[in-house]
Amino acid sequence: MAASSDSSESDQLRPSDQSVSCRSGNRSMRVAENERRKKAEEPFVLALKYFSDVQTGTPVTGNDEFEKNLVLVERVAYSNGLSPEAISIMLEFAMSLRMGSSPCVRVLKCLLPSSVVPQEAVVRGVVWLNVGKMPITTQVLFLKWVLTVFDMIDAKDQLRAVYGFIFSFITEENLCPFVCHLLYLLTRKESVRAFRVRKLMDLQSKLGRQPFLLHLLSLYKVFSPELVALSVPSRVKSGFKNHNSPWKVALAAVQRRNGAQIASAISLALPVGDRTSSRKRKHGHLQIPVLTSVTNKQPHTEQNSRKKLIPLVQIQSFDQLLKTMHQIELPAQMGSLLGSGLALQYLDCVQEESALLRLNFWLGCALQEEFLFGSDDDAAHIPEETLQFLDKLLSAQHFLQEGFSSSDAFLYKFLNVWDGSLMRPQILGLLSNIPVIPALHLGKLLFEPLTQLFFTSSLFFKCGLMECLNSMLVKWLTWHSVYALEDDLDISLGSHTSVNMTLSGFKDSVMELVHFVGRLASVGLQLEGCHTLLLSFVLDFYGTVCDTFLKFGLPLVVMPPAGVFYPAFFAADPISLDRLAHIMHRYRVNLTSAKNQEKATEAFHISRQTFQEFNHYLVFMVNCLWNSRMFKPGMDVRLSEELLQKSNVPQYWTRFDLIHHPALMSYAFDFHQKCWPGRKEMDLNSIKHLKPWSWYLQYLFNQGFDGLKDFFQSNINQQLTVDDGQGDSQQR
Amino acid sequence: MALLKPFSKLPGLNTAIILLVENEEKLQLRLGDALLKETSVVVNVRLAKSLPLPVNERRPRIDLVVFIINLTSEPSFQSAEASLKYLDPGYFLGKVCFMVTKARNASVPTRRLDAVRMLAASLHCPLLFAEDQTPEGVFGAADRLLTILKGAAGLVPFTTPLYLSHLTRCTLPPDVDQPSFD
Amino acid sequence: MEKSTKCFLQQLVRRTPTRMLKATLEKWDRLTPHQRQSVDFTLPKWVITQTLVTICEENGLTMKHITELEMMHVIENPNQGTWYSFQLLDPEDDAHSVELMLFKEQFKTHLRELMRNVSIKIKKHTDEAVWIRIAWGSGFSRPNHLKPTYVVHYLQSPYVFVRNLTSKLKPLLMQSLTLSTRHQAIKDANLSGPKLMAIRDLLMKQYQQSFPTNDASPLAKENQPGPIVNEQAEARASRRRMASEAFGKGAVPQLQSAVYKLETKYRDPSNRTMTERDEPFRCVVKYSSSNILESFRHCASAGIASTPVTPLLSSILLKGRNYFVITDNAPAAASQTRQADL
Repeated sequence: MAASSDSSESDQLRPSDQSVSCRSGNRSMRVAENERRKKAEEPFVLALKYFSDVQTGTPVTGNDEFEKNLVLVERVAYSNGLSPEAISIMLEFAMSLRMGSSPCVRVLKCLLPSSVVPQEAVVRGVVWLNVGKMPITTQVLFLKWVLTVFDMIDAKDQLRAVYGFIFSFITEENLCPFVCHLLYLLTRKESVRAFRVRKLMDLQSKLGRQPFLLHLLSLYKVFSPELVALSVPSRVKSGFKNHNSPWKVALAAVQRRNGAQIASAISLALPVGDRTSSRKRKHGHLQIPVLTSVTNKQPHTEQNSRKKLIPLVQIQSFDQLLKTMHQIELPAQMGSLLGSGLALQYLDCVQEESALLRLNFWLGCALQEEFLFGSDDDAAHIPEETLQFLDKLLSAQHFLQEGFSSSDAFLYKFLNVWDGSLMRPQILGLLSNIPVIPALHLGKLLFEPLTQLFFTSSLFFKCGLMECLNSMLVKWLTWHSVYALEDDLDISLGSHTSVNMTLSGFKDSVMELVHFVGRLASVGLQLEGCHTLLLSFVLDFYGTVCDTFLKFGLPLVVMPPAGVFYPAFFAADPISLDRLAHIMHRYRVNLTSAKNQEKATEAFHISRQTFQEFNHYLVFMVNCLWNSRMFKPGMDVRLSEELLQKSNVPQYWTRFDLIHHPALMSYAFDFHQKCWPGRKEMDLNSIKHLKPWSWYLQYLFNQGFDGLKDFFQSNINQQLTVDDGQGDSQQR
Repeated sequence: MALLKPFSKLPGLNTAIILLVENEEKLQLRLGDALLKETSVVVNVRLAKSLPLPVNERRPRIDLVVFIINLTSEPSFQSAEASLKYLDPGYFLGKVCFMVTKARNASVPTRRLDAVRMLAASLHCPLLFAEDQTPEGVFGAADRLLTILKGAAGLVPFTTPLYLSHLTRCTLPPDVDQPSFD
Repeated sequence: MEKSTKCFLQQLVRRTPTRMLKATLEKWDRLTPHQRQSVDFTLPKWVITQTLVTICEENGLTMKHITELEMMHVIENPNQGTWYSFQLLDPEDDAHSVELMLFKEQFKTHLRELMRNVSIKIKKHTDEAVWIRIAWGSGFSRPNHLKPTYVVHYLQSPYVFVRNLTSKLKPLLMQSLTLSTRHQAIKDANLSGPKLMAIRDLLMKQYQQSFPTNDASPLAKENQPGPIVNEQAEARASRRRMASEAFGKGAVPQLQSAVYKLETKYRDPSNRTMTERDEPFRCVVKYSSSNILESFRHCASAGIASTPVTPLLSSILLKGRNYFVITDNAPAAASQTRQADL
């Protein structure tokens, strides 16, 4: 019904009104449901009535009526869960200690919500805590219950309003861990105050460095770094373990049973995360929490008009998001943002630092706990949800087109203990999202661990890493081309990262990366016997490198090292040769255009050495392929005349020309047969005559060797000048 | 106290021999089985709990000595450290490597990981990390050992064990808790 | 039904886990099949209890019947509480001729002579064990069925296993046992634990033993020339041999703890104040595990504990004890000091 109103009257209706109609619709459904239940479960209603009316001081022992009613409530609770009204009544009964504290525990244990927990009930419960008659264990039990059902509480604004009140319980030693956890879930930027920080520091000096205090303090530090002068150790053991598993299990059972009705009612509003938390909380911290701030109250009575906050979960479309941008209320569990496209969009548009800080904080803790400091049984196998989590993280990063600083920091650490195969696709994916690092840090953070991994791992890892580094380079260059458009001296990388970098700094980093990959590639190719697969990934990388100037506007050209160029040139497969030719062609185009621009603006300078290297390679290629003069003095490949004579290779200087190159020989044969079908004897040299030569070139270019085609068309425009190897004379 | 010597015997043709030293004797057999899956060269696996080895004239030349250290256990580290002195210095030219298990465990004190790193870095040896709980992890670890072993046994053209160890040796990582770029 | 009987039944049902309750009730055979079916075991415990109390009242069952039920449950699930073992000494000539009827009669007579108001129930279990349940009263009060003592004795064996016995009543029970089994004395066997069967197996040597040999065991031959060669196979085999000599082969009795009470002089050259003290240094070393013998064996065979195994540890199996007091002047253990390597 929300959909219909959406389409017909969306112009008149303000978004909040829309959600009203939607909610009231839900409500009427629920009322009908309740009516139906009432008829079926009349005694249950009477039982609830008993508990709401029972007088203070009624004895418990021997009170059969009480026993009968409580058993009834328990039975309903364990089978279907309790409705919000029932929760309110029972919680009020228990916390008020009207019949002493002994039934209180029993009631708390059966408080399993069927849908949501009304916020008012929880607030009242918190207030009752202060009355003082309640045994401490029962108080703990209540807090544990609140923590367990926290995600089901229908709104948190009133709870946040009593933040200070809840904070006051922190001095009670037994309650402290639980209060800290609750505060951790409720904390927002405005809750962080100097006096609270002081109090926490006091407590810390009294109780020692307790993980629950550290967790809360480090969250405070995230919000207001200036208030918390405390170095939070990187290895805080998992802080809060306050979930009560029997409750969780019972709750999950209730949810499963109600699954059909409730899930459908809620999941309408939820874009992702239909998983109920029915699984044991073994990897609980990695489950992306479901976006839940299911507000089922009537909005008009509670939400006053001066500041309407709309939970993110109620936003249904991008339009709506744009209209309500300034009124969004972030969910309590920041991790839930990862799973929702709209939430990510919000994150991207809004420059609010705290949302990203909270998300980063949560992510950092989750990654750290799961992958760096798991416990014994956790490490035994990587469960499906862990992989899903990483995939979701990756897709969120792709969506935002930038990494999260916490996942970067995690990666730097993880690389140092990685075995190279655990979750390889995901880790390499995260790695390729790493933002530009200053050249100074690249070596220690990335290159050293990666070198060790690269040279001790299999061919497939080597290929994977090459691909990953290639896409890392592409992302760096893309950022540059996007953010450096206006002012090409100072670029700020990423909209949220605070790293500012000068253009020369950026250039240094890119150069470092390219040189690093060059080293890996040369030695890797040597160790793997110039494996074609690895060569292909290496050429991919240089396919990116050769175009840095024209495609990405970065005035930097780095030539491949000899260890990459020659293996590619001598490769036995035509594809590699063709790709090399293409890369050389692109280098030429880039260099030419850079040179022209350099003359025009004089804003940058491509080093002379780069041109020399390029010419060197170019002359070699042209000499080998075109001129059949392989062993000219001054080349990299040098063999003495006597040795070559001794080898008995006929016409050794022609062995790598377009006809005899091992990669192209089969084409030459084929061409020969097609050209002279009648000939008995194969004479490849006859192709060299003027006419068949141009036919042969045409034939080769028709086979799809576009790289070779471009290469020759740009370098050998006038056949005559080429003959003396000076086809590149315009390049200094 | 016989020193184990790397060049006292002639190598076998297309054969690589690896010695897995592990005080706990938990991973070595599984790792050995995984290593034997290699078909391109003949792999010979020898196991030991610690060094020195008993005197055995017929023992072939060992190309690579791997010390397996469980990071959650101090004795495991101490035993490996104590075993090192029974190796001829010639081994440290690219024929020794350390393999660490359970490095991601919460109960690992940071100091111990640092100590292992220091040890490997000071001896210029590679330090590998292995996920020993899963078959895939063991297989991956065996794969990486084979890469090193082939180099150490001289079976990779254009390279020597020393050259390879120069590329793969452990370095001390920076303190990467919160990298700050200022 | 009397109030005490009702109370006893309630306590019994409350203690018995629901999943066992059904089987035990079937075996008990005091309820009709129809009555048994009428009990809904999915309900909370207190509802079941009430139903059972009603049924038992209907059937007119008495304390005797309920104790029967309890005994049945205990015999089926003996691994609760702590069992202490005792050894009977100096048998009379006719000790071996004591059979069940005679023992029953004698035991009841002797115990009743020493104490009025005891309720004794004796039952022979299928594995030759005689189970005795004693509910003690005092001179003026009636037997308290809520805290009964259980005694298990294998006729013609010198061992008795006792659970839940107060030190005040211990002499009475010991005397009756010695007399009725035709022995002259009884002593504490220093072996206790929650698993009755493990304690019994250990004392009666019902496990696979291995005897020291000097020949290379077949283990050494496992080292065939294959692609995987263990360089230290011999050392490993001898460690394993010595471990199984000290702690048995195959499945060993599931003992869960071993306690050493040390009353020895403190020896540490670096700490003179402690070493020069005249008084012995008192401390208790307790090893515990879900299967302590297995753990020790693993430690020794994996080389974590040194081999040959110290007599302190190997005497658990050898002497059938898990409680030791170690003093400096005791001749047996005089040379031993603390084992710090475990």
